[in-house]
Amino acid sequence: MTSMFGEPIARVEDDRLLRGEGAYLDDLGHDALAAAFVRSPHAHAVIRDIDVSGALDAAGLVAIYTHEDLPGRVGEPLPLLIPHPALTHGRTGYPLAAAEVNHVGEPVVMVVATDRYLAEDAAERIVVDYDPLPAVVGVDAARAAEHLVHPDVPGNVAAHLVQANGDAAAAVAAAPHRLELDLYIERSASTPLEGRGVLARWDTESRRLRIWTSTQTSTGVRAAVAAKLGLALADVDVITPDVGGGFGVKIVHPWPEEVLVPWAAMTLGRPVKFTEDRSEHFVASAHERGQRHQVRVGFDDDGRILGLDVTFWHDNGAYIPYGVIVPIITSTQLLGPYKPGAYRVEFSSLYTNTVIVTPYRGAGRPQGAFVMERTMDAIAAELDLDRTLVRERNFIQPGEMPYDHGLIFQDGRPLIYDSGDYPAALARLKGLIGWDEFEAVRRAARAEGRRVGIGLACYVEGTGVGPYEGAHVVVETSGKVRVATGLTSQGQGHQTVFAQIAADELGVPITDVEVVTGDTRAFGYAVGTFASRAAVMSGSAVALAARAARAKAIRVAAAALEASPDDMEIVDGVVRVKGDPGSGIALGTVAVLSNPLRYAFDEAARAATQFVGGDLSTPPVAEGDEPGIEGREYFSPVRSTFASGMHAAIVETDPDTAEVKVLRYCVVHDCGTLINPRIVEGQIHGGVAQGVGGALYEKMAYDETGQLQNASFMDFLMPYVSEVPERIEIDHLETPSPLNPLGIKGAGEAGVIPGSAVIAAAIEDAEGFPITSMPISPSDLFELRRRHAASGETANASQTASVNRAG
Amino acid sequence: MEFLRPESLGEALAARAAHPEAVPLAGGTDVMVELNFARRRPAALLDLTRVGELTGWHADGGTVRVGAGVTYAELTGERASGGQTALGRLLPGLAMAARTVGSPQIRNRGTIGGNLGSASPAGDCHPVLLASGASVEAASVRGRRQVPIDDFFTGVKRNALAPDELITAVLVPAPGGPEQFAKIGTRNAMVIAVAAFAIVLDPVRRRVGTGIGSAAPTPVRAVAAERLLAGALAGDGLWESRGPLPEQVVTEFGQAVSAAASPIDDVRGTAGYRKQALAVLASRTLGWAWRDYRAAGQQAGRG
Repeated sequence: MTSMFGEPIARVEDDRLLRGEGAYLDDLGHDALAAAFVRSPHAHAVIRDIDVSGALDAAGLVAIYTHEDLPGRVGEPLPLLIPHPALTHGRTGYPLAAAEVNHVGEPVVMVVATDRYLAEDAAERIVVDYDPLPAVVGVDAARAAEHLVHPDVPGNVAAHLVQANGDAAAAVAAAPHRLELDLYIERSASTPLEGRGVLARWDTESRRLRIWTSTQTSTGVRAAVAAKLGLALADVDVITPDVGGGFGVKIVHPWPEEVLVPWAAMTLGRPVKFTEDRSEHFVASAHERGQRHQVRVGFDDDGRILGLDVTFWHDNGAYIPYGVIVPIITSTQLLGPYKPGAYRVEFSSLYTNTVIVTPYRGAGRPQGAFVMERTMDAIAAELDLDRTLVRERNFIQPGEMPYDHGLIFQDGRPLIYDSGDYPAALARLKGLIGWDEFEAVRRAARAEGRRVGIGLACYVEGTGVGPYEGAHVVVETSGKVRVATGLTSQGQGHQTVFAQIAADELGVPITDVEVVTGDTRAFGYAVGTFASRAAVMSGSAVALAARAARAKAIRVAAAALEASPDDMEIVDGVVRVKGDPGSGIALGTVAVLSNPLRYAFDEAARAATQFVGGDLSTPPVAEGDEPGIEGREYFSPVRSTFASGMHAAIVETDPDTAEVKVLRYCVVHDCGTLINPRIVEGQIHGGVAQGVGGALYEKMAYDETGQLQNASFMDFLMPYVSEVPERIEIDHLETPSPLNPLGIKGAGEAGVIPGSAVIAAAIEDAEGFPITSMPISPSDLFELRRRHAASGETANASQTASVNRAG
Repeated sequence: MEFLRPESLGEALAARAAHPEAVPLAGGTDVMVELNFARRRPAALLDLTRVGELTGWHADGGTVRVGAGVTYAELTGERASGGQTALGRLLPGLAMAARTVGSPQIRNRGTIGGNLGSASPAGDCHPVLLASGASVEAASVRGRRQVPIDDFFTGVKRNALAPDELITAVLVPAPGGPEQFAKIGTRNAMVIAVAAFAIVLDPVRRRVGTGIGSAAPTPVRAVAAERLLAGALAGDGLWESRGPLPEQVVTEFGQAVSAAASPIDDVRGTAGYRKQALAVLASRTLGWAWRDYRAAGQQAGRG
């Protein structure tokens, strides 16, 4: 039997999903009542009155709930999930607005009816009287603080955090060269194809609650809902069905609907379901990415950074339930593979009257990579050095690993890189894209009247954050292996990679392994799927649990065969003496033998009953032992493991229409040891597509009153296959992590991280003026050209108003 | 909401007269979006999909009569088996415009009559119909009339139909020369146009036709640009000689088209970008159309 680990096997999930046999939230609960919500049409307003009288005779109406109807903790503000000492003014929303609304889309009234159509019809008849207040929209308005989102939060500042390693200001001041940059990334959103959704059933006889929810953390929802509803954890099951994408928006919990729907199901004694529609998703879920950054950098004649001083402002929206994870990630991960002489970063997280922010695949890193990589390019331009050379000179070297940045990462632990080889990655990337030969490509294009440019960007990504994940591996008497882990799946291919790991550890065919994720009935302790952590955390736990099960199976089989456990192996599901295929006992039989029985319920069970024999002087189950071939183990690493990568792109910009076409896109990627290269490449492909989206298309166009102008897929544009380069060229580097038993690092978010940075660099190279704000549409690029033409810039002048020489 | 389902044109016109508040529903690709976004809550919908008289097309002398219920998919002239239908060959400009509409699903549902009924400034058929000097055939219980396309668009999403009228067909002069259509959006496919442009060259009548989309409150013609180009073609004897177009003519034509637009800034693009895009689209489509005209001349010369 060949090893499964490292093989590019096809995903076991795909057959079912591609046949349309997946079961997503809305495929469940056809007998359930439907919930619909009256949501605020105003960005900021006081609720004067709610008049439901017009809806009371609506057909199919079951119940209408406002804030006043919610008892005790159900109606209280949602939890602030991740507190932080810097988060001095944390505010969270109510499940149903109490007295004030702070963004368009905030839920105000819940309607339950016999179906969704009737629920929406009834909702339309409810009249809410609002007293509008001035809206705070965007980073700049929040900073100006002419108006406040929350009257008791001065300056709209939720959190303010400074971290430093060395005296960056002094280092910048003393440096022979200095630059200042103003860099901006717009608001965007991950927009999974399946929105949020929750179904709840209250069993009136067993008095237990069962919840299905489209989440990235079933255990998190379970704990939060149990606390809100005053139920014992043991009386709540949370099951994650197939999930049509999460990308971070579904890690926040509990969403208002995740509290209200279970509560309504309990109150009404009937199943209730809510399925978010696309319009709701735009205004009632979450966005990310909106940040403005000011960079002061000092460097020597070779381009080495002596001091880096970054201040940025993060738009966290109306509330901050997920804390300051995103800006902390930006502030630490913008360092990438580099080691500035001194570093200082300061951020303010600001309230605005817009949708809340949750991590969106990349989670603050795309902004960080944009800031650092634009800075690298500006240094190269200032010194007239090759852009790759400046990067090389600032790299942390392989011999310097583990490398301690002297900062605290998002998991509250030191920012220490465990492994990586950045010079090797850059050399591969240059070869892959033909960096050194590009001037010839540019000349040839120019001769045809075409304008092309090349750019690159590097990143380092802390993956596999703790605190822990666990796994349970059971060998059934049939010989089948059941693996359960608590974190959830949103289509990543966990069923495949966890089965690969378990199959190899146990020595069974992969077809004998079945994996369950995200079901609190199967595994109750878990954190969730985010931060590119599933493979590292649950993958490691599955390996450890499978090793424990294997050790037990060998022990039991060795006793039965009167052989030494050291001489045993498991091959193709048979436990045998090494090199002696005739000696073996099938794993299923070993499972039978491991469980002494009084009752024979089938032929196999007869072999384990009390008159079969064995040592009658010892207990049937030895002291400290357990029946069954099982392993239950947890993996809890000391800190995150740091994956890395570098992307390069060649773009063409149309001289007339300012359209941008990505001609080539190359990726060198290092996520440690690969479990399944096909799945990693799939993650990269999807990430790159999302990165192209973030660079060229996606933005949340709010007007000054806080109305979202592009809240549909007609105007919020995602890249299609026609916008993503035909071939994404990938090369893997495998620098194993010393922090987990498999040497792996996360890969889920990587592809998206340098997207805006690399495409901005390539456009800048094609156009000859700095690109300091992303995304960039043809219209934006056209206006930039006009501005630079008007200000008398030439294609050769590389610095402008937004990149100022300091001092 | 009342849902009216006439089975014939007579029934449809009677229903339209009896329920002037009813919103006609053809493919539903505009109406259903508005209902979904709760921008509209009409008292009644008048479903026209069962009215056989609205489907199909025929060529009659110099005019092609396209039924209001003809879909974009039919207009594209693409056969599922490959090759092109007679309609696609007959009206290449409309075929080009129809190919840029939405997704295959939208092209299967959306109709030319529905496009005109919505009268959106971004409607993809409109620039071609303006450029080719088409007429809209409207009917009511009072009778039928033809509305010249130049008089049809009266405001943002407003048209010249009376409250009791339905669009029954579009009458398109069969082209005697090349037609081109192009649009620009932020994304390559399935995107609402930032700007669109159509050009029709009619060597028989020595006429130039133009149509602009997404760059004014209604679809509009660039009349000055038409005159400028027609004058240049006639003055230099280019219709006859089929010689190369002077660069200056192409540039001036683009500028004149751009000048005819009165676009706004919105989430899809700035007014300035739309004007620039129109100048580019006009120059490029003119170049392609003239290339086609010259190629047709060479073929005729050989034949």
